[in-house]
Amino acid sequence: MTQRLVIKFLLRLAAFCVLLIVMDRILGFAFKTVYFKQRVGQFSQTTYAIDSARQDVMIFGSSRAVRHYSSPIIAKGLGLSCYNSGRDGQMIPYAAAVQEVDFNRHKPKLAILDINPWELAINESKYEKLTILLPYCDKHPELIKYISEISPFEQYKLFSKVYPYNSSIFILATNALFPGKVKKDSSGYLPLYGVMTPAYLAEYKERMQARYLRIKVKKEVAEDKGIAYFKRFLDNTAKNNIKTIVIISPTLLKEPFALDNQTLERNLVATIAKSYPNVTFLDYSADTRFNYHAEKFSDEFHLNNKGSAEFSTAFVDYIKANNLLK
Amino acid sequence: MLFNSIDFALFYILVTVLYFAFPYKFRWVILLAASCYFYMAFVPIYILILGFTIVIDYFAGIYIERAQDPRRRKLLLMASLFANIGILAVFKYFNFINLNIDYLFTKFNYHNPIPYLSILLPIGLSFHTFQAMSYTIEVYRGNQKAEKHFGIYSLYVMFYPQLVAGPIERPQNILYQMHTKYPFNYNLMVSGLKMMLWGFFKKLVIADRLSIYVSSVYNNPDLHNGSTIVIASLFFAVQIYCDFSGYTDIAIGCAKTMGFDLMKNFNRPYFATNIQDFWRRWHISLSTWFRDYLYIPLGGSKVSTGRRYLNLFIIFLVSGIWHGANYTYIVWGALHGFYSVVYVIIKPYLRKTPENEFYATLMRMGNIALTITFVTFAWIFFRANSVADAFTLISNLKSFGAAPFFGDGISNFAHSLLAIAILFAVEYKMEYMPQKFNFYTSHNIVVRWGSVAVTVFLILILGVFNGGQFIYFQF
Repeated sequence: MTQRLVIKFLLRLAAFCVLLIVMDRILGFAFKTVYFKQRVGQFSQTTYAIDSARQDVMIFGSSRAVRHYSSPIIAKGLGLSCYNSGRDGQMIPYAAAVQEVDFNRHKPKLAILDINPWELAINESKYEKLTILLPYCDKHPELIKYISEISPFEQYKLFSKVYPYNSSIFILATNALFPGKVKKDSSGYLPLYGVMTPAYLAEYKERMQARYLRIKVKKEVAEDKGIAYFKRFLDNTAKNNIKTIVIISPTLLKEPFALDNQTLERNLVATIAKSYPNVTFLDYSADTRFNYHAEKFSDEFHLNNKGSAEFSTAFVDYIKANNLLK
Repeated sequence: MLFNSIDFALFYILVTVLYFAFPYKFRWVILLAASCYFYMAFVPIYILILGFTIVIDYFAGIYIERAQDPRRRKLLLMASLFANIGILAVFKYFNFINLNIDYLFTKFNYHNPIPYLSILLPIGLSFHTFQAMSYTIEVYRGNQKAEKHFGIYSLYVMFYPQLVAGPIERPQNILYQMHTKYPFNYNLMVSGLKMMLWGFFKKLVIADRLSIYVSSVYNNPDLHNGSTIVIASLFFAVQIYCDFSGYTDIAIGCAKTMGFDLMKNFNRPYFATNIQDFWRRWHISLSTWFRDYLYIPLGGSKVSTGRRYLNLFIIFLVSGIWHGANYTYIVWGALHGFYSVVYVIIKPYLRKTPENEFYATLMRMGNIALTITFVTFAWIFFRANSVADAFTLISNLKSFGAAPFFGDGISNFAHSLLAIAILFAVEYKMEYMPQKFNFYTSHNIVVRWGSVAVTVFLILILGVFNGGQFIYFQF
């Protein structure tokens, strides 16, 4: 009797597993089709950056990259084509991954890496967020080593054809249902249009100063693995002999890294960048044209369209004035 | 070993197969060996601590039962309780107490000579200690016969599904089950697996998803404005529920597949209409533990009014201390003690439920919302990294000058809301329509299999697979 029940259970379990695998393949195919058919939004920009970008100037980095560098202004100012492959929520490991795939395909004339000191601080989420690369692992096996940072089992999870599209359902649905609502931009640049109020700036400044007083004795820590990714990025540009600019773009507060206990990381970024002959390091975090100018910021971390246009123009002028492309 | 890891999946399959493959008389050996391995996956050496309390309580139980002299029985009970609480005190509270002594010494310009202990907290210490204590207390009270089989007693303390985060079982409920022969039961196996699946859904899709937003806000209390803090606090209320009840579902389901019936630990607490009701639905095994072994021995409600209020306050304060050696938990416990005392005082003056169904529903909804508000406010202290952080968050609640923070893009936030909506729909159905829409147990195989498959795919599509630790493992 018991044996019969065990066999019944095992047979049903096997049948259920077959059903799951079939559904996984069907759903996975549907997700893949919808995902790679997107022509708007940040997923499509990641796809473009990984699969197709061949511009002369490539911009890498986080949300501060994608929101701060107007590729049309940079392209026009330098007389070169430009693509912004920055991505919201991502950090240096993502930039290194996109750069590796990109450089395997073409060699840009200029690489720009927007970096934030906190990207070198201990923060596991910067690796967890690499799940965004999962849909591309089939086509670009060099990305497997990056996704292995998430967990050593990550590549085995790719047995499921649905799993690579984990956490993308909202964006996929939004882009599919309201394609007209998402602004199309073929240069990768995604400006923010909000404007911060002076009152909010004052309140934010007060909060940050209170934070500084509270945690100023906190021990500063930089993460070896984060530093290794930063160096990997720069090694790759050096190996390919590509002019590179590492930038800390404008910040709302002056010297925010002191307030946030990230001075050590900021100095480390500068030291590492300056040790490469092909790299120029620029720090706009104390630039008074932007510090405390609430009207140029959309939120605490990002310039708005007005601020980013002004910054991009100033940045191009600097490149030209200093002959950085020569 | 975390339930939400590949290691556990392999471990569970292997143990369950071995459990049913071996003859009945060897099954306790399989389970005990598996439980030891499960526990040793964290810090192997700590098995000795567990072994120490097991030996003490095993012999204490036997000698308490044998002893005729009430004083000797009491002495043996005290020795057992002292050993258990002593271990808790050393591993969990020593450094905290020392820190406070340090603070006092510094105030008077003295140097504290007591060194700090450089030790990690053994995982689930408070849970298995309380379970062990309930055994000797019940033997002392004559409600449970002393367990003579050392292996079975060890399994009572160490049973791996509930070893690190409960439910905190009573010997009357679980010990006899460890002597019972359970043949393979198809229905229990299937319903246990479905329960585990729902537990994984709660943990991976809801708790770990919400934790992304909650952590980014609570780890940077100065950076966020009022609307963000309100959202993060509500998210945390759901996160901790799904994290802990998800763990419990996996534990109960896992035990069920082997034929064991563990006690219910949650009963949709956010549908509670007052704070007492909340505590009847939240972490039931701990609430009833405190009721049976602390509140009633203190005199319970059969004492003067003032003493009753004090007793009530004490159990919540102790509950806070039980959670962790940190003032955040103490404040959290004290707040709940305060809520409960106030509720008991005002209860006679509260308006009766109206007869009109519409008004009754409206009143119930209002009461639920009010209860959630108070509970969520207390969660601020529970989740904050320090009491100072909690006050920073509370003081920033007044700041509504900018839009709320949505995290790294709206996507995570939207998935969080979707996950909460699914949870609410399921819990609402279970609370108010228990007989309707029972997809998992439908007679129609398409609906039954389909609903399970949908849950699997929802986990694959919406789950967060970063191996987030269960919050209650640290207690």
